[in-house]
Amino acid sequence: MSEDTTAAGSSGNPGPIAGPTAELPAGKPTDRPVSLLRKRLRKFKSLKRGYYSFLLLLALYIISFAFPILINNKPMVVRYNGEFYFPVLAFHNGETFGQKGEQAEANYTKLRQEFDRPGNPNWMIMPLYPWDPYHVDYEDGGSFPLEPSSRHILGTDDTGRDIFSRMAYGFNVSVSFAILLTVLEYILGTIIGGVMAFFGGKLDLIGQRVVEVWSTIPFLYTVIIVSSILVPNFMVLIFVITLFNWVGTSYYMRGEFYREKGKDYVAAAIALGATNRQIMFKHILPNSLTPLIAFLPFTIVGNIQSLVALDFLGFGLPAPTPSWGQMLEVGLKNIDKTWLIATPLGAMFVTLLLITFIGEAVREAFDPRVFSRLR
Amino acid sequence: MVNYFIRRFLLIIPTFLGCTLLVFCILQFTPGGPLERALQQAQQQSHGGEGGGTASGIGGGNTEISEEAKAELKRYYNLDKPIPMRYILWLGNLMKGDFGQSSVYGDPAFEVITSRFPISLYYGLIGFVLSYLVCIPLGILKAIKHGSPFDIGSSALVFIGYSVPGWALGALLLSTMAANWHWFPLGNFHSDNWDQLSFGEQAWDLLDHSILPLICYMIGGFATLTILMKNSLLENLGQDYVRTAFAKGLTERRVIFGHAMRNSLIPIATGIGSILSIVLTGSVLIETVFNIDGFGYLSYRSAVERDYTVVMGILVFTVVLRLLGNILSDFAYAVIDPRIRFD
Repeated sequence: MSEDTTAAGSSGNPGPIAGPTAELPAGKPTDRPVSLLRKRLRKFKSLKRGYYSFLLLLALYIISFAFPILINNKPMVVRYNGEFYFPVLAFHNGETFGQKGEQAEANYTKLRQEFDRPGNPNWMIMPLYPWDPYHVDYEDGGSFPLEPSSRHILGTDDTGRDIFSRMAYGFNVSVSFAILLTVLEYILGTIIGGVMAFFGGKLDLIGQRVVEVWSTIPFLYTVIIVSSILVPNFMVLIFVITLFNWVGTSYYMRGEFYREKGKDYVAAAIALGATNRQIMFKHILPNSLTPLIAFLPFTIVGNIQSLVALDFLGFGLPAPTPSWGQMLEVGLKNIDKTWLIATPLGAMFVTLLLITFIGEAVREAFDPRVFSRLR
Repeated sequence: MVNYFIRRFLLIIPTFLGCTLLVFCILQFTPGGPLERALQQAQQQSHGGEGGGTASGIGGGNTEISEEAKAELKRYYNLDKPIPMRYILWLGNLMKGDFGQSSVYGDPAFEVITSRFPISLYYGLIGFVLSYLVCIPLGILKAIKHGSPFDIGSSALVFIGYSVPGWALGALLLSTMAANWHWFPLGNFHSDNWDQLSFGEQAWDLLDHSILPLICYMIGGFATLTILMKNSLLENLGQDYVRTAFAKGLTERRVIFGHAMRNSLIPIATGIGSILSIVLTGSVLIETVFNIDGFGYLSYRSAVERDYTVVMGILVFTVVLRLLGNILSDFAYAVIDPRIRFD
């Protein structure tokens, strides 16, 4: 919808949606006052589906930072000639382990075979899943893509890299990307929308025209074009997408700031001599964050989908990065190998479903709509 | 009101100019443009013309294009002029209806683009109508039976629809149903032997190719539209006028369909503006997955192949349709809901 209708809606009729002010705590004088935020968090915790989804996703995300230890083709611990080595954490060349003339990283597959010989006192502990997302499995001898087997539980892609490993690392990349992108676009959108509404007048008028131009540019299209100038890496891609994605947030925040700035507490703050910056960020901002927070999980869902789409089209993260979109693209090239598509799609589905459950609960807690109905 | 919409129409002009100018400038800095392409072609031709030049060509010693030819090419593509001048020239040609020549297809860009419209229109329109036909009744039913097993069960579907992007599901459908089980053809708009088919066979062929993409098109808006309809109706059912209608003894059916429904359709109807851009611009991703040569796929290919005239042409269509769609949305809003005043 265009910005003109939002302006009409925010200044004129209050609209059917109950704002955050509608459910301020009644606060019986004898009770210890409970802050609104705490009330909402309590409500969120009481919504089991969303709360458990949150705990599960949080646990998965934290674990995903330990993937280099858990999912890797280097051993966690090597015991060699009475010494301990930790190849996951540090680089060791082949000569360390008696692989003659090997200045490059030690070949742990060979080393393991050596250790496995009877009578060899050395040993190593491999990670839970011994494949890293970049390693090409030449030793298997099959032709790529390999089908799921006990060696590669979800098979390999068409260059011989393990799919389970790439899927797992892709989870960390996707979620980190989406969270960072969401935070940045919220910050940028809040500042721009807030400033436009707070100062109003000509600034707002011109700002609105610029925003309209910006929002009319087709997003995917422009990112594709820009990606061909700047070679995208993780941060460049976030920067470019932020540049186009802040618009939605700025609409929200502009509306919220417009609504809030007419209220008494703002007048009080002005009378007390607060600076503009104090009024905007200390007084108005906390009061206008509700819709943003209520919408946050859904923004993350959208951003994960954007990343997957860009990776799929080949304009996302650079080549060897494990990403679901790139895996889908490989799957489409080998269309009869269903496991190539099912894995990234399944991972994306579970992740987005969990976030959607969280989003439902967050929205319910922060922006409740009570539907009363006769009969 | 009339003034408001006149103003809105006039505002299309600066937005359009700003938008195209911005993308135009970005394009000027993108490597691999039409000049490079033309130079490459010329180089290949002159290289081939030498005939006997076999191994010597690899060392880079092959004939470079003369500076004059380069300058002439630059002049041909207006690259000898400053960027603002180039933009004005482009705009002037556009006003005359000249979108320029596609450097990839060799045809006028306008024809290249408009030839894709029927394909995107076909999918956009059918997908749009189908998703409204499914989502609105489903949303109404969910609202009426709020909290029932049916509501909870169908919510699961909604959650699934929201968590899987249509195009990605399309890849899975294509892999299972088309590639492995051979129920459907593997993408494309129609079969290769299209021209030899009778009309009945053509219709069947088209339908056969359409089913999977249409499923994907529908999933795109399925969750949002259904929930929007449900919430909107639920909200209205809690209003006082519904209480009044019940109090004067109307049946539930009449209350819902005669009173609450009409008001709850307002937010849905305002989505009508987006029909313009949905129908005509298609989905880049779905068309790419199914290898459908529509507007979306063309826009992707033209950006990849640096076919600037087509890129700009597509931008013109997209921007104009989107802006008109916004106005149409607001207009629909004002027509349906007389309480809305734009002043």
